[in-house]
Amino acid sequence: MRLVRLFRSPEAISGLVILGLLGAMALAAPWLFPRDPLSIAGPPLLRPFQDWALPLGTDRLGRDVVAGLFHGARTSLAVGLAAAAASILVGSVVGTAAGFAGGFVDEVLMRITDAFQTVPGFLLSLALVSVIGPSLGVVVVAIALSSWTGPARIARAEVLSIRERDYVASARVIGMHPVEIALREVLPNALPPVLALSSVIVAAAILTEAALSFLGLGDPNRVTWGGMISEGRAVLRSAPFLSIIPGIALVLAVLGVYLAGEGVVESSAAREGQA
Amino acid sequence: MAGFEISRRKVLAGSAFLLASTALPSFGWTQEKKGGRLVVAADSEPRNLNPAIVASNGVFFISSKVVEPLAEASFDGKDGLAPRLATSWEGSDDGLSVTFKLREGVTWHDGKPFTSADVAYSALSVWKPLQNLGRVVFKDLEAVETPDDHTAVFKFSRPTPFQLIRNALPALTSVVPKHIYEGTDIAANPANNAPVGTGPFKFAEHKPGEYYRLERNDNYWGEGEPQLDEIIYRVLPDRAAAAGALEAEEIQLAAFSAVPLADLDRISKVPGIKVIPEGYEALTYQLVVEINHRRKELADAKVRQAIAHAIDRDFVVKTIFLGYAKPSTGPVPQNDKQFYTADVATYAFDVAKANALLDEAGYPRGDNGKRFSLKLLPAPYFNETRQFGDYLRQALAEVGIDAELVNNDSAAHQKAVYTDHAFDLAVAPPVFRGDPAISTTILVQSGIADGVPFSNQGGYKNADLDALIAKAAETIDPAARIGLYKDFQKKVTEDLPLINVAEWGFITVARDNVKNVANNPRWAVSNWADTYVET
Repeated sequence: MRLVRLFRSPEAISGLVILGLLGAMALAAPWLFPRDPLSIAGPPLLRPFQDWALPLGTDRLGRDVVAGLFHGARTSLAVGLAAAAASILVGSVVGTAAGFAGGFVDEVLMRITDAFQTVPGFLLSLALVSVIGPSLGVVVVAIALSSWTGPARIARAEVLSIRERDYVASARVIGMHPVEIALREVLPNALPPVLALSSVIVAAAILTEAALSFLGLGDPNRVTWGGMISEGRAVLRSAPFLSIIPGIALVLAVLGVYLAGEGVVESSAAREGQA
Repeated sequence: MAGFEISRRKVLAGSAFLLASTALPSFGWTQEKKGGRLVVAADSEPRNLNPAIVASNGVFFISSKVVEPLAEASFDGKDGLAPRLATSWEGSDDGLSVTFKLREGVTWHDGKPFTSADVAYSALSVWKPLQNLGRVVFKDLEAVETPDDHTAVFKFSRPTPFQLIRNALPALTSVVPKHIYEGTDIAANPANNAPVGTGPFKFAEHKPGEYYRLERNDNYWGEGEPQLDEIIYRVLPDRAAAAGALEAEEIQLAAFSAVPLADLDRISKVPGIKVIPEGYEALTYQLVVEINHRRKELADAKVRQAIAHAIDRDFVVKTIFLGYAKPSTGPVPQNDKQFYTADVATYAFDVAKANALLDEAGYPRGDNGKRFSLKLLPAPYFNETRQFGDYLRQALAEVGIDAELVNNDSAAHQKAVYTDHAFDLAVAPPVFRGDPAISTTILVQSGIADGVPFSNQGGYKNADLDALIAKAAETIDPAARIGLYKDFQKKVTEDLPLINVAEWGFITVARDNVKNVANNPRWAVSNWADTYVET
């Protein structure tokens, strides 16, 4: 029932198709392009559609743009998913703890959340990466650091209403430990609205990663779309395709994630409405 | 066609304005030359603008118009020099003294007269103790005698080659006013941010993030100079912006390859813009692979030779520098007329030989095809050093060395390489300044304190080479000294304490109406007294 609804909306379908293609690219990358995508594959600055061995041409050092695009999809998706997972995990744990414990703990946790929210997220990531140094793990942590506050606030709001429900009260009556109640009874029921945020977080994480790479703060040992755009910028006037191709990939990826997420949320909302 | 009409109208309007501003209704060619405002691109904003303390091209680019050295490099002058604040210089046979005759009738921008006391003060209180390069060259300077206002005699405690002092004049001898610096904390003096000098232009203002403005010094000693009324340095940190600004006529000149190399071919075809590769002959940058000899693999000369064989210098020159560079043979660049020798060990691009050398050294490929892993830190100062880092990683992968790139900003890079030694290989762009003793021998000499940038921080120690450097440092006879430095080049290329890959000068891109550009080998960092904008 739910899937049928999902496939009824054209936005959701296009989102899922894009996302599927992206996932396929990411999975197929090491199989289709087994060589290091940063290795020099041909003459430098080859234009697209000239040589079918290098269909989208090469960059300033002669690296294959298609290989970069495929391996870049891997990095973008990996960072997007890992950062989203980390921020939802941290956010929902903090939110649940704050909402369930209440009182002093709630005050402290929420003021910390406020503090993080007052600093622009991108600046926070930028500062962290430039202090610790760019590598994939640090980039994931930096993005998670700036995006866990949304899930935390939503989780807390949900928990505040759930903890007054009868089944929580009965769990208390049968003598369950408060931590057990929080984790087994409250958190699972508070999660769906938090998960609805995930598509927004993934999309934002992909963009943040690209922006960090564009500023030269990505992992230099990996291909990233942001890094490709940034390298292409030096030759923007003479070889614009080097910036445009990864730019299009980036737009499609973010759009795909967003549309698919929107579709899932809408179909589940419709289901609930029916029930 | 329409575009041409508009730009001509603009030019006419501009020239009418300039003629009005000179308030002289003459149309003679000398009047046409005089005046004008030159707007140039600046890609960085140095905090300290005192060239006597920070002898670097980023500082010179702005402050060389304000603060002058004793002599400037020249294409046709004797010993490659043209007089500035000194009119003649002579060394004694024992190498213990050098006598400078100073120019008369020169005044500082604040009206006080320039005398030998200023030179003595600059040499003893600034160049020797504080300047990055002067610390090396003037280390044995003991006293400066000033028998009269226009003579300064440098006294050295140990023989110091006159040839070295002469070669050091353009970059190391910017004279600052004693009356402004004496009795103050020199490093914190406000004149470091708003320099006072004797040059053709006065420092007028600096708006951070926007521009520097220099204005004409009406009391300049050079007859009929300067030609320009004003120089504006527009801060354009984005390299792609400089090309656009030139085409839009917002700026008239971009030096130090502010226009990316990849854009030169296109912009050279734009009418009204010319690409000038001359004017950097005495500012040769060298692309160098720095090696940390503390790593046991890299302490083995065979491994270093293998790395040298793994680098395709022609690829680097053609692809990374797009032809605007030359492959290096050794630590002295080929365009140096005094010291260069081609008689050195060379390492042709040969992957098979590199692999064989690594096998021989006892580092066979493992199951994953890798011999060992390295940390590679490319200097972030230039696009080209970063790109060479990307290339070197691939070149090393071909011979089974797994290099992990670590990108840092300038401050973090300098700390990692020159203070913490947290690198295995690094890519550096040192400058050859006309004499190996100024900034080249320091790259391989041992016993240098931690934290000195652009010096041997790789833990390399070679007693023979150290002895050779020490001997050359006190050899007075120019021919013998040159002989020693030829030996030095041979030894460095044989043992490879570092690997010289390529050498390059920068490119100036200017509008056609900017005249007298690139007329000396340090043009971008010289005083621009004769430069003008044709209107």
